[in-house]
Amino acid sequence: MYQIKQNPVVKKLGFNRIVLSMVLIAMYCFFAIFAKNFVSYNRILSALNYAYFLGFLALGVTFVIATGGIDFSIGPVMFCAAIMSGYLLTHYNWPLWICLIASIAIGALFGTFNGYLVAYKNVPPFITSMAIMQISKGVASVFTKAQSVSWPQLAHENGWYRNLIRVRVGNMYFPVGLVILLITAIICAIVLNKTKMGRYFLTLGSNKEALRLSGVRVRKWQMLAYTICGLLAGVAAIFFVAAYTTVQPGYGDQYNNEAIAGCVMGGTSMAGGLASIGGTFIGGMIISILQEGILAIGLNKNYQLVITGIIVIVAVYLDVLSRKRRV
Amino acid sequence: MGEIILTMKGIDKTFPGVHALDNVDFELYKGEVHALMGENGAGKSTLMKVLTGIYRKDKGTITYEGKLVEFTNPREAQQAGIVIVHQELNMLGHLTVAQNIFIGREYMKGVKIDDARMNVEASKLFKRLNIDIDPTEKMSNLTVGKQQMCEIAKAISHEAKIIVFDEPSAALTESEVDELFGIIRDLKEKDIGIIYITHRMDEIKIITDRVSVMRDGAYVGTLISEDSTKNDIISMMVGRIIYEEPKTKSTVAKDAPVVLKVENLNAGRSVQDINFELYKGEILGFSGLMGSGRTETARAIFGADPKESGNIYINGAKVEINNPEDAVKHGIGYLSEDRKRFGIVVRRTVSENSTMANLENFMKGIFIDKKKENTETEKYVESLAIKTPSVDQLVVDLSGGNQQKVVLTKWLVKNCDILIFDEPTRGIDVGAKSDIYKLMNELVKEGKSIIMISSELPEVLRMSDRVIVMCEGRKSGELRIEEATQEKIMHLATLDD
Ligand SMILES: Nc1ncnc2c1ncn2[C@@H]1O[C@H](COP(=O)(O)OP(=O)(O)OP(=O)(O)O)[C@@H](O)[C@H]1O
Ligand SMILES: [Mg+2]
Repeated sequence: MYQIKQNPVVKKLGFNRIVLSMVLIAMYCFFAIFAKNFVSYNRILSALNYAYFLGFLALGVTFVIATGGIDFSIGPVMFCAAIMSGYLLTHYNWPLWICLIASIAIGALFGTFNGYLVAYKNVPPFITSMAIMQISKGVASVFTKAQSVSWPQLAHENGWYRNLIRVRVGNMYFPVGLVILLITAIICAIVLNKTKMGRYFLTLGSNKEALRLSGVRVRKWQMLAYTICGLLAGVAAIFFVAAYTTVQPGYGDQYNNEAIAGCVMGGTSMAGGLASIGGTFIGGMIISILQEGILAIGLNKNYQLVITGIIVIVAVYLDVLSRKRRV
Repeated sequence: MGEIILTMKGIDKTFPGVHALDNVDFELYKGEVHALMGENGAGKSTLMKVLTGIYRKDKGTITYEGKLVEFTNPREAQQAGIVIVHQELNMLGHLTVAQNIFIGREYMKGVKIDDARMNVEASKLFKRLNIDIDPTEKMSNLTVGKQQMCEIAKAISHEAKIIVFDEPSAALTESEVDELFGIIRDLKEKDIGIIYITHRMDEIKIITDRVSVMRDGAYVGTLISEDSTKNDIISMMVGRIIYEEPKTKSTVAKDAPVVLKVENLNAGRSVQDINFELYKGEILGFSGLMGSGRTETARAIFGADPKESGNIYINGAKVEINNPEDAVKHGIGYLSEDRKRFGIVVRRTVSENSTMANLENFMKGIFIDKKKENTETEKYVESLAIKTPSVDQLVVDLSGGNQQKVVLTKWLVKNCDILIFDEPTRGIDVGAKSDIYKLMNELVKEGKSIIMISSELPEVLRMSDRVIVMCEGRKSGELRIEEATQEKIMHLATLDD
């Protein structure tokens, strides 16, 4: 085992990520064998639809968890952003591109508010994000008078945003969304590992007080992590509606847990200070294929919740185990 | 001396990239105080962690009370009668002193934890050990020294046959060390075997019977404490002799300007009406007992804790310092006495810890210049002899003394004009200590100024140009180095009015 871990190629790619990729492939094979029609282009596209918005959510929450925090509001915030910007588009006829920016801005706003409470008012992130979860649900309902919002279809003059996930090339589809998600992941990885901001995130996740006593304005950086997380939830909202068009107020909780699960599975430590964007990317993929696979083998939506719940426990437990040595 | 209680033979332990223990032998009698010495990273803590089941050994045997043993976790060792007081404090700050002492073996009243009983028991324990601590106090309100005493009391409260002390005195003042020695003599009477890790040479003669020395993970030899000199031990440890001479004359220029002036500083009970000046190129020693307010004064100046009133002038100009950020901007650096809580970032690497206070200088556009960062860090790894396989090693994997050197590196990299060093050589071995002294002397020669808080009187006398003594939150005196002696300092430190 030790030998394998020390192999230069393995070291470069990261042992955890290699294991994770193998899990992803194994799972795909499992479903390919046991589910009907799983190996089809449509199935893959459908799994990807899920992977896009979940991927953005998971990338965002990785920053927060890196700082030693947590954000349970990203799912409802994503819904809130999708609903409000969609309402602006369909009821107030705002131009589409402004609505897309609005979605991102709404997400960032919620994130910043959350981060402000955590960083400047010392409220535990668990509490603030729970509160923000409720607030965002409420705000969305009030804004639309509790109606659901349907974003336009592709054929509609305002439908081009749906090309963000795929474009038709001949009689095939090209997954644009995957490219965008990948690029975002690469940018996130660079931010986390190569910039001052990312360095401060990781450092304050490991020992905030030491960073403060080094003369760094920790509160600002801590808040920024939540801003980024919210901003990516706003982006996720766009990809959610691009895939499914209809959003209903009052939902979205389930996606928090799935995003956090993907992130922790990917090797980001709940205790803060250690994070892997590559891991989050693969972790998000695993969760998404799992959702699609569970339906494909004929189990209903409730099983999705049970199985994802179990996976969260296992992933966090493995995280705890692997860090046991270093307290 | 009694019979042998413990024999460790041929112990071997390897970590990735580090051969931490290489065929080490160790032996302990009942009722013996056996010192374990060696440079930072020599493997002392690791050997003790192997003994107490925290690490698994790769090779070797441990014979305890005539039987071969192999503990797989600290609890097993504890039950067998081997307890350890760790180098790093392991107390839970939000619990009370009594709750910490009885953690994992709480007194119960039905399903409820019986806090009253625990407080009583803790009081009894403290009385027996002659320690003055309130068992109902919250742990995080205690000074490091007091926390350390709790840690010691906790270890003793187990009915142990062997007690390991891993650098217990590093966080204690002279008077607390005396208390500790009283406790140890008591334990010795009861035929308990004691392993005592320390970097303080003068303690060897006072309290220990034998001393074993380790170097680079290997066992070097054992001496009878009575029959050996300081130099015997040092040359065994580092292979050279180190000279220590107290400073007899201030090296500050006559016309040196005042770089830092503190006027009527107040911050709670521990900082009352503090006034002093620091000159360019000066090392200003701060002496006093634990809890006399030295650290609190430093933290108030640095903006780490809020102050109530007072003015601070830098180079003659009044400055506003409300947080560490302001302080660093004005060229002040503060090395905390509590490295685990306020100094190191354990889950990050040596180089990341080193550049933490000065990341701006290691940027190439928006990106961190990893190469520059590593080169700069390697410079200090070499000059401070930090023992690590590479600058990419996580700090958690370094030995205690080497972690201390990393924190020091952080402020050297930052290149501050005014450095406040709070116990700078805590847990650092004799060889490295003299390297750090040399470095401090070089820094002041370059025109930097240093405030050195230290609980080791020899260190204060050796390094300072001037000494300020604090007592119960007030400045109780100021001595020029020419007139300072241990007695005078102790007298000022224990003034009661
Ligand atoms: N968990 C670990 N992983 C990797 N290396 C380790 C680990 N623990 C200790 N080491 C390495 O083993 C060596 C011995 O460390 P140890 O803590 O025993 O030193 P020490 O003699 O107690 O030093 P000090 O006086 O500084 O406390 C060091 O080089 C250290 O970096
Ligand atoms: Mg040690």
